[in-house]
Amino acid sequence: MTSTIPKLPQDMPVTSPRYVGKEVKRIEDPGLVTGRTEFIDNLKLPGMAHAAILRTPHPHARIIRVDASAAEQLPGVVAVLTGEDIKRWCNVGATSPEGWGSTPMAVEKVRFVGEPVAAVAAISRYVAEDALELIEVEYELLEAVTNPEEAQAPNAPKLFEHNASNVILDRNYTWGDVDRVFAEADHVYTEKFRWNRVGANPMETSGCVCQWDVVNNSLTCYGSYQTPGFIALGRAASLNLPSNRVKVVAHPHGGSFGGKGGPRGTDIAALLSRKADGKPVKYIEDRVEYLLAGAGQSWDRYYQASLAVKADGTLVGLKVNLVDDQGAGAEGYGTISAAKPLAAFTGCYTIEAAQYDLKLVATNRAPTYPYRGYGPPPHNFVLESMVDIAARDLGMDAAQIRRMNYIAPDQFPYTIPSGNEYDSGRYEVVLDKVIAMANYREMRELQVKARTEGRLLGIGIVNTVEPGVFDWNAYSTVGVPGVGVPEGVKVSIDILGQITVTVGFALEGQGQYTLAAQLVADYFGVEMESVRVTYASTDIAPPHFGHGGSRLGVAISGAIMGACNKIEEKFRLVSAALMQCEPEQIELMDGHLRVKGMPGAEMHIAQVAGTMLGRSDLLPPGMEPCPEASFVWTAPDRNEPDEQGRCKSYLTAANACHIAMVEVDRDTGVTDVLKYFIVDDCGTRLNPATVEGQIQGGVAQGVGAVLYEEYVYAADGQPLVSLFSDYLLPGIHEVPMTEKGALETPSPVTPLGAKGCGEGAIHTTPATIMCAINDAIHPLGIQITETPASPNRLWQLLQEVR
Amino acid sequence: MKPAPFDYYAPETLEQAVALLEKLENEDVDAKIIAGGQSLMPMLNLRMARPDALVDLGKIKTLDYIRQENGTIVIGAMTSKRAAEDSTLLRDRQPLLHAATGHIGHRQIRNQGTVGGSFAHADPAAEYGAVAQALGMEMVVVGPDGERIIPADEFYLSFLTTDIDATEVLTEVRAPIMPDNTGWAFQEVCRRKGDLAMAGTAVTLRLEAGSCAEVVIAVFGVNATAARLPEAEQVVNGQAPGEAIFAQAGEAAAAALDEPIADVHATADYRRSLIATLVKRCLAEAVERCA
Repeated sequence: MTSTIPKLPQDMPVTSPRYVGKEVKRIEDPGLVTGRTEFIDNLKLPGMAHAAILRTPHPHARIIRVDASAAEQLPGVVAVLTGEDIKRWCNVGATSPEGWGSTPMAVEKVRFVGEPVAAVAAISRYVAEDALELIEVEYELLEAVTNPEEAQAPNAPKLFEHNASNVILDRNYTWGDVDRVFAEADHVYTEKFRWNRVGANPMETSGCVCQWDVVNNSLTCYGSYQTPGFIALGRAASLNLPSNRVKVVAHPHGGSFGGKGGPRGTDIAALLSRKADGKPVKYIEDRVEYLLAGAGQSWDRYYQASLAVKADGTLVGLKVNLVDDQGAGAEGYGTISAAKPLAAFTGCYTIEAAQYDLKLVATNRAPTYPYRGYGPPPHNFVLESMVDIAARDLGMDAAQIRRMNYIAPDQFPYTIPSGNEYDSGRYEVVLDKVIAMANYREMRELQVKARTEGRLLGIGIVNTVEPGVFDWNAYSTVGVPGVGVPEGVKVSIDILGQITVTVGFALEGQGQYTLAAQLVADYFGVEMESVRVTYASTDIAPPHFGHGGSRLGVAISGAIMGACNKIEEKFRLVSAALMQCEPEQIELMDGHLRVKGMPGAEMHIAQVAGTMLGRSDLLPPGMEPCPEASFVWTAPDRNEPDEQGRCKSYLTAANACHIAMVEVDRDTGVTDVLKYFIVDDCGTRLNPATVEGQIQGGVAQGVGAVLYEEYVYAADGQPLVSLFSDYLLPGIHEVPMTEKGALETPSPVTPLGAKGCGEGAIHTTPATIMCAINDAIHPLGIQITETPASPNRLWQLLQEVR
Repeated sequence: MKPAPFDYYAPETLEQAVALLEKLENEDVDAKIIAGGQSLMPMLNLRMARPDALVDLGKIKTLDYIRQENGTIVIGAMTSKRAAEDSTLLRDRQPLLHAATGHIGHRQIRNQGTVGGSFAHADPAAEYGAVAQALGMEMVVVGPDGERIIPADEFYLSFLTTDIDATEVLTEVRAPIMPDNTGWAFQEVCRRKGDLAMAGTAVTLRLEAGSCAEVVIAVFGVNATAARLPEAEQVVNGQAPGEAIFAQAGEAAAAALDEPIADVHATADYRRSLIATLVKRCLAEAVERCA
């Protein structure tokens, strides 16, 4: 029996889906709004101690001596951890290319401000922090390198002295006949861009409670983990444990956006527990720690891009040179972030040849980590800005130049020069729809009028492709090999017909528990309320990855459809035996196994499950009495990349077009976002409310990146931003309430036709607002090519033309 | 992010508070008054402030009032900013102070933070500093030797520093009601709504026979303390209102500043330029308001 996964919601065994595709209420919300959901800081275990971490104030220094004896003597202190313990018990983290990883705590030298150098577990966090003040650390200060240029200079101090230089990776990708395309182009536009460091800032920082079982030499980690299976494997590697001796229990967490992948706190808490003879140790990262040295910094980039264009506006070639400041090593998978743009390198356009020069450099800034979108937001800012530069020079409208270069609906599946295959899309329909919604023509008229009044009004129109359903295969050329990212679930029907879905990921905010209930309820024709979704820790969960890469909604759909399908096949055998017909005569419809063509001859799924578990005597001979099934889904048809990185990587290609209108205050440089419109096509919307929430949240982070947020470092390597008063997240007053429209072009290759949709808005918003600002100020003969477009930065530019 | 150990006192009367402060001072205990804690608590948690003792004024109920006394609006130091924001008396009789209150932080902060706390903390970017200068306010402090009244221009000494002695408690602030026909304006530029301002300006003026008179220009967020800028006021006094003269006053204001604060949000030059813009805009807005 082969499993058949429904290609569209109407293919499900239900007369009409009651939940899938509807804005159902989220099953996660009652616990959240009543405060009953158990976040990690709510967890208290008997005898639990509290950890605090001593962090270095120096960007680059050798550790000469650590004296923790006074701290050990402080009443209430349970254990003190120093580099000596790390040397004895710990390995360099396995998440970086060889030679570029770190231990959770510095042993011989520190490489960034905030790197842990010692830690204390005590009866309270207060006492633990008091004890930190008693630890003496003697340093020999080393010269710091704080940007890639300094880091690449001859004789620059090396962060990792065993490496030849501070360059982590230096490679070129060439796709197609780039030289010819550029030689034959009528125009080649070249520009430099700077994307300053931003990153994920979830409401809740990282936290954990770790307990080392000193009898069985095993470890349990409770925590706010985004990808629990991966964290468990990583701990086994870094803490020298067999992989089946680490159990990770992911707790519901207050967002992640990639920012909860930092394992240092977990490793430190685990070793403190080990040192404290197995007492559980809680470590809750505070916001200063998060901002200084958490997993919240990303995308510190210097770009130069060239766009080759024909006289009529046809885009033919793209070259992008990226120098990426990875910070102090590559522990946070930063190489992936630089390589992800391969999945949609040329955006929505039929650009025929492209080139990507990639240089990743280590500096004495904090190590970079994943952030929602994972690389394309800066890339799209560069690509879309280049398209606008071409349009302005050619005297073309920004919408028109995009329209004429779109991949047409009949060209799908479409392989882009960098190798990924887009599944489907109707880009021009999306464009027309958002243009109509925004009343684009009237916006342009408003702009003409504003300009005559001396006001700086600008319109940005930007479209992007969102690669969805990530796969490792895209990353083997940057040191992270593998094909396929499995996501498994178990669906069980009990003796009374109640259904439970077991998953390997915890609540994070995106509503996948609700989605799981929607899918199962419609598949088996039951009420959504009767489906329970439950979390399984890594020791008992099916193979899983969890949240990330705009993947989980599609992956969980595939896994659930697969598991339901397996149960359906079992039920078909059982019900056929009970109703004395052939299995082929049975069909599942609206929760009943029916004999085709015999009205009234049917059994409800509860009857079948009840029979299986309660009347084994009635089952077909040899039938396992098991009304449950597991299914592990992975994207079909993925392959290994060639040496230019070309492969079928991300399964889906959603797309969106955003239009923003902004006004720049000529005197103060302050940008006001006046209007914002979005049309997004991410295939079938399994829960439209969730999709809208994903889009609005992505807009918020995009607004942050382009106007507010920036991790600023002084020339000596000191971070100048360690509080939310300086790292500025946009609030309700700063984020426009966008007007949103939808188009649904189902994916032909996914369960139910859905596409990944978690990152499209952050891919698009920064470029849209930046293009709008440049549209506003270009009549003055200036342009801004650096994010964020803060008031001070814009004012500086405006000063040049006063 | 937990504070270092400290002793905590919560006196119930002003007399107890003053006596306690005197006792702690005599014992050489570094005591700090807490009056809402919206600035002090983060500083404690970051261990940037580590007093030996905290004296919490939260239980002293006699310092929570807003009333009119003759030609002055008086506000008890422990009145919450939210109460000030919601006060119709303040809105009607002291609109500049009222408008400035709405710019302080967010509603949650105004719920907990007090009017007196803000004056006493003396953050250079605090809105009330400029209001105090613009309105010629007076601060009432009570110490072991009794009551003392400090005019605004003597109250703010430097960055986070006022003339309040270690044994004194700020009990009341007094704001003279602006004469009828006074125009006023309050504007600031922040990165986000509710943030500390990169620069801000408060202006009052009157129109007499078509000319600007009694012009007061006070700025905040740029120097160690809020300050009045007579150099800019002089440019406008006696002149007919107009864009050119207001721009000129803005330039004079910018020129009159001490070297402005520089941080990750704004360079000194940018702050100077913001003052020029805000003074210009506030003057125009204040003229609009002249009845």
